[in-house]
Amino acid sequence: MNGVMNNPLNISSSPHARDRWTTAFIMRLVILALLPTTIIGCVYNGIHATLVVLFGVVTAVLTEMIFDKLCHKPDTWKDGSAVVTGLMLTLSLSPSVPLYAPVVGSIFAILVVKCAFGGLGKNFVNPALAGRCFLLISFGRAMSTFAVDGVSSATPIAMLMTGRTVNITEMFLGTTSGVIGASIVAMLLGGMFLWALDVIHGEICFSVLGGFTLLMGLFGGQGFDPGFLLAHLCGGGVVMGAFFMATDYTTSPVSKLGQMIYGLLIGALGALFRVKGGTADSFSYSIIIANLIVPLIDHFIIPKPYAYRRSAIRRREGDTRSFVKRLPKPVVVLTVITLIAGVALSGVYAITKDTIEEQKRAANAASYRVVLPEADSFGQDRTIDAAIEDMNGGVYGAGFGRVYINECLPGYDAEGNLVGHVVRVTTADGFDGDITLVVGMKADGVLQGISYTVLNETPGMGMRAGEPEFMSQFEGREVERFTLNKAGASDNAPDAIDAVSGATITSTAVVNAVNAGIDFYHNVVIGGED
Amino acid sequence: MRDTFRGGVHPAEHKELSREQPLRDFLPEGEMVFPLSMHIGKPSKPVVKKGDQVLVGQRLAEADGFVSAHVISSCSGKVKGVEKRLTLMGTMADCVVVDNDRQFTPAADYTVKADVKDLSGDEIISRVQEAGIVGLGGAGFPTHVKLKPKDPAAIRYVIGNGCECEPYLTCNDQLMRTRAEAIVEGMEISLRLFPNAEGVICVERNKPEAIAALKKAASGKAKIAVRELATKYPQGGERSLIRVIAGVDFPLAKLPADVGCIVENVGTLFAIQRAVCYGEPLYSHVLTLTGDAVKNPGNYVVRDGTIFSELLTASGGLKEGVTLKKAMCGGPMMGIAMSSLDVPIQKQNNGLTLLCEDAVEIAEGQMTACLHCGRCTTVCPMGLMPQMMADSITDGDLKRFETKLYGLECIQCGSCTYICPAKRPLMQLFKQTKTQIMARKRAEAGGKK
Repeated sequence: MNGVMNNPLNISSSPHARDRWTTAFIMRLVILALLPTTIIGCVYNGIHATLVVLFGVVTAVLTEMIFDKLCHKPDTWKDGSAVVTGLMLTLSLSPSVPLYAPVVGSIFAILVVKCAFGGLGKNFVNPALAGRCFLLISFGRAMSTFAVDGVSSATPIAMLMTGRTVNITEMFLGTTSGVIGASIVAMLLGGMFLWALDVIHGEICFSVLGGFTLLMGLFGGQGFDPGFLLAHLCGGGVVMGAFFMATDYTTSPVSKLGQMIYGLLIGALGALFRVKGGTADSFSYSIIIANLIVPLIDHFIIPKPYAYRRSAIRRREGDTRSFVKRLPKPVVVLTVITLIAGVALSGVYAITKDTIEEQKRAANAASYRVVLPEADSFGQDRTIDAAIEDMNGGVYGAGFGRVYINECLPGYDAEGNLVGHVVRVTTADGFDGDITLVVGMKADGVLQGISYTVLNETPGMGMRAGEPEFMSQFEGREVERFTLNKAGASDNAPDAIDAVSGATITSTAVVNAVNAGIDFYHNVVIGGED
Repeated sequence: MRDTFRGGVHPAEHKELSREQPLRDFLPEGEMVFPLSMHIGKPSKPVVKKGDQVLVGQRLAEADGFVSAHVISSCSGKVKGVEKRLTLMGTMADCVVVDNDRQFTPAADYTVKADVKDLSGDEIISRVQEAGIVGLGGAGFPTHVKLKPKDPAAIRYVIGNGCECEPYLTCNDQLMRTRAEAIVEGMEISLRLFPNAEGVICVERNKPEAIAALKKAASGKAKIAVRELATKYPQGGERSLIRVIAGVDFPLAKLPADVGCIVENVGTLFAIQRAVCYGEPLYSHVLTLTGDAVKNPGNYVVRDGTIFSELLTASGGLKEGVTLKKAMCGGPMMGIAMSSLDVPIQKQNNGLTLLCEDAVEIAEGQMTACLHCGRCTTVCPMGLMPQMMADSITDGDLKRFETKLYGLECIQCGSCTYICPAKRPLMQLFKQTKTQIMARKRAEAGGKK
């Protein structure tokens, strides 16, 4: 063959063809998907935010470039993964952070989390998130100040967590106080784009969102109220976390089942931290925790090849038993046991329901006597009952947090003279759940005393709100509104209450609940009589 | 109805280069080289010696044992001898070399169609065996062995494989368009061996003309159906086909016959019809000459033993001004990379793809660390976890590779390597590891004896 053999032919093992997609191409797709969010964030938040993004991205790339050079590694910075890290990190920062924050965060993300562990594909947690958490811990104040044009305001998620209402439309568009990448619409657009192209795994994103919604609905305290759930889904980086952070290839499981477990775990932890925790950044932590569990998931959850799955073996053996008969025995047995137990439990509940109610009433009545000992009996006031009914189980007043008025009864002495009122109040702002207390108001407006019907705070900390030392502070005082002295302060203002040291959240919740009770007494009981 | 298996990839087809080129007979002029091993099994034993005069269709070497196949002359001329010659795999192997007299005088009249209605099953199999037929899909497994499973009554499907899922190749497309009746007749003959089987001829959807021709030829035949399948690689793999037609997945240790299936390439069905009805042995088959380096891509009926380079030169050679970078016997997914074109065409070869660009070379420049993106797991037609398998090999944990990840179940289709954005040679790694493990197992088994 003339001319052919002059050039040696390339030899390789089959296949000799390759798909067009490369690592760099995938990274470019991710950058493209983040672009709408970045543009909206930069335009809405102004020049400083743009600089934050720029500093973060450039530092990330430079860090990897310098690391490659110093360690004589191949030029991995060219693959674009550093740009993605820098972009994701800065999009999750407040637009008003000082410019050193994105720089420090990017260096930490790239140098410590990525390069030190072996570079692309070897990081043990999502580098961008690790960088963010590093900054949160190091520069807490700067990180949690959200200001646009020098005017700072609470973020929607911070408002949500203190029981206030938010504007979901603004959250959706991103025209609200929050991180640079706050625009949910743009994030969703980018996320859907990546999902449609099969760049990210739907198993992860949707199980994150599903798990979060489910647990938020179950334990968020407001049921499956669409407005409430949507507000929580739109805030605190849930969407960005689900589509961009949790889907990081390296730190998510390989198998579909593993991906779903991982996604549900993130969603569940996120919701749990949101309900029980005190920080608005909980979603970052839940992803990081799940990241750390991934090697375990991948070690144990390995799908069998098709030929070895039970369904395939069954089909080969011509097993044509019905679905129920094919079910593994333990599944059937467990289902039956669960059903029986469920029926039995609900039966017991139905039988004991009245007794329980009776006991609750007795417990309440006992507390009423404690806080209003002059009263011999308690009556009922239709006006007050109607006022409580009008609240429809909603939060009472403003400035008391998530406080609800349960009951308010007038108390009479042996001769039938009105001696005062008792107000039973529940606050959902306790450190470990609801606190219910009773406030006794004498007819002359003096607070007689308080008593708890529900108090499940941390023993040794919040639980000490139930000790006389704290409770007695309220007794015998005639105050419109108590204010809380933080632990250690000795401000002897007439309306001051000393907090239980080490239990500010519990103390605040109790003071708010008492204030709500007083407020209700003045505005509804007294005001209603006028 | 299901029209494909799970996983798989869809590489650029490039079939437009040659798909409309009709099949042309190529009569070689130079010397002909017949390797003694053009099949899976033991190499055959020569039955001619230097100086013998041979005719087209005459046996040059005969099967050594049951799992082996005869070697048939495709030309007339004088035997030069049995010599070591360079073959496709890049090694020197024993070949019968014949000095072609360019007369192509046949040993018998292969144009008369005999009535075969009364042939028994054993007679059919013996005719196939005499004709030296091997699987023409690429593997070259002796067909008479395949047609003789332990329990013929347990066979439910005889699957005619006309998928041609390999990019570039179009010769089976042309064969199906023009020889549909013969293929269907080959299927009918095969079905006579299996009383409880139905015949299904499968063709990928990108070959509408072939589907139409086959449907026409099969109309009115109760036991034969033509199925349109999705265009996807490796649709033509026998496990993929069985998955679609019989709905069964089975481990590598089992054969198709164990799950009631026999898979035959449409080229093989054609060869069966020629052998049984006309008494013509297998000495020629279809082959596609294609690739962006070729001046005149086309589909040919080539004779075994023809030197590849002679075919290329006769077709018009390479395009002017191009540099040939990569030559493949077959297509880019399953084909064998060739170091030289001066090797003989073997029975089971179905393509010569010549390219100016080597995708493997380009990919090597783009290789990065594994991203764990999971694309390989999505495309694996066997449901394996290639990425975890590669990790276990890197970690030196071959036990996990073998027992937890079922690494030995890899069919080496190369879908994972094809799709990998990090351009990691996954399948090649698995192939190596499998060889290692098998060698160790053989050594252990030998040690016990």
